[in-house]
Amino acid sequence: MSAVTREQLRALMAEVLEAQGKSLPAEDGADLQQIGFRSLDFSELALRVEDEIDEELNFDAAGLRQITTVGDVLDLLTEIQQS
Amino acid sequence: MSARIAGADNALVDARSGRTTTWARLRAPQLPAPAAFVAPSSYEALPAVAAHALTGAELLVVARGRMEQVLRAELLEAGFNVVEGDEVERSQSPRDPADGRLWLLTSGSTGRPKRIGHTLSSLTTVTGDLPPRRWLCPYSPGTYAWWQVVTLGLGAPGQDLVVVDPADLEGWVPAAVEHGVTAASGTPTFWRQTLMSHGDELARVPLEQVSLGGEPVDQAVLDQLRELFPAARVSWIYASSEVGASIVVHDGRAGFPVEWLDREVEGRPRIRVVDGELVISSPHHGEGLEGAVRTGDAVVVEDGRVLITGRTSADEINVGGAKVSAGVVRAVLQAHPDVVWAHVRGRKAPLVGKMVVADVVLRSGETSAPETLTSINRWCTERLPDYGVPRRIKLLESIPAKETLKSDV
Repeated sequence: MSAVTREQLRALMAEVLEAQGKSLPAEDGADLQQIGFRSLDFSELALRVEDEIDEELNFDAAGLRQITTVGDVLDLLTEIQQS
Repeated sequence: MSARIAGADNALVDARSGRTTTWARLRAPQLPAPAAFVAPSSYEALPAVAAHALTGAELLVVARGRMEQVLRAELLEAGFNVVEGDEVERSQSPRDPADGRLWLLTSGSTGRPKRIGHTLSSLTTVTGDLPPRRWLCPYSPGTYAWWQVVTLGLGAPGQDLVVVDPADLEGWVPAAVEHGVTAASGTPTFWRQTLMSHGDELARVPLEQVSLGGEPVDQAVLDQLRELFPAARVSWIYASSEVGASIVVHDGRAGFPVEWLDREVEGRPRIRVVDGELVISSPHHGEGLEGAVRTGDAVVVEDGRVLITGRTSADEINVGGAKVSAGVVRAVLQAHPDVVWAHVRGRKAPLVGKMVVADVVLRSGETSAPETLTSINRWCTERLPDYGVPRRIKLLESIPAKETLKSDV
């Protein structure tokens, strides 16, 4: 199964938010706290990616980092798929 | 035979073939005790039961479908002679049989099946005058639930049996209509499967008694059965090989009244909750299980009712430090009007450790239904804390069930 592209990740992220009655702004710099994207939503997004690629993601490879914006989420999940 | 079997003249019907006999007319085989009788079908296990009732010879009944190599080796090692058709495999560790002993195998939902010792007396928990009934027995031969129905037919006049094997359950409803079944006992999974696939036809079965047991019972399935059989008594029974039939509820509601906890009534089981687990001291217990037995079943108390939510080993899901009961989530899902069955579990996830996910069967059987999924998500959001809402729901075409008629696969 091929990796989920950044564009596809954005679509999946929008679906997660949509299920909560929220929407995903177009800007990568949008603040996660302000748009109401919480740890549960991040975890759900990760599971959606895993289902798409049929593989468990290894978050250990990413190391500790701060995730505060939409772009941070997309970067992290893109990077982890490549590790 | 009739001198020893109170229900000697009760009818015994094989739903598949239509063969009919009575306990009195059965030809009881001579079994080399202690015998492990491998039953090709539920009906064909009945002569072994009659033999035990007459002679008290030590016996274990097991469905052919459950008799794996490992189990066979264990039984031979434990001194059982394995009887399969005309063939007898003698134990290499022969021992004297224990008079009156019956052995049951647990369903094995928590690992390998365990042997629990009983007697016909300890398995006979329904006493007193009973209205004449014709019972459907859909259970796998040799399980506690199977023995419960079979001992009823054996020991109580007027209690006929119509036996059907778990593998033939697709055809049980027409058979029940044909043979005039008036009482049926099954797991919630059994009833959900039937309601889903034969709902209209099921109403034609003249049921006066509907019993559920063997798994947590939720309000939705009770309500559906009540709607279909408004005049019938709908009962759910908490029973296990270890503690026997210990809780029987007839009020049509899921769970049992909290007032039943810690009650001391002579001859009745004593029920307690310790650290969220059901603990039972039962007069119907298996051999060596006197006193308080930790059942391994998780419970919660809600609105004055004690609800059994699932196995303690599998029920609690830790979502980022918040604890969620899989049983509670399952009950919410199964209360949704489009859902007939749900299985809830924790799935490994980043940040929060585990997330709640579910497999669901829709009434329609659809495996792609985005609008219904949205509706289910809204339903759960309105009834559960946000960490308890299943974030991934997989739609299955049909309810998976094991031979024990339980769906906790």
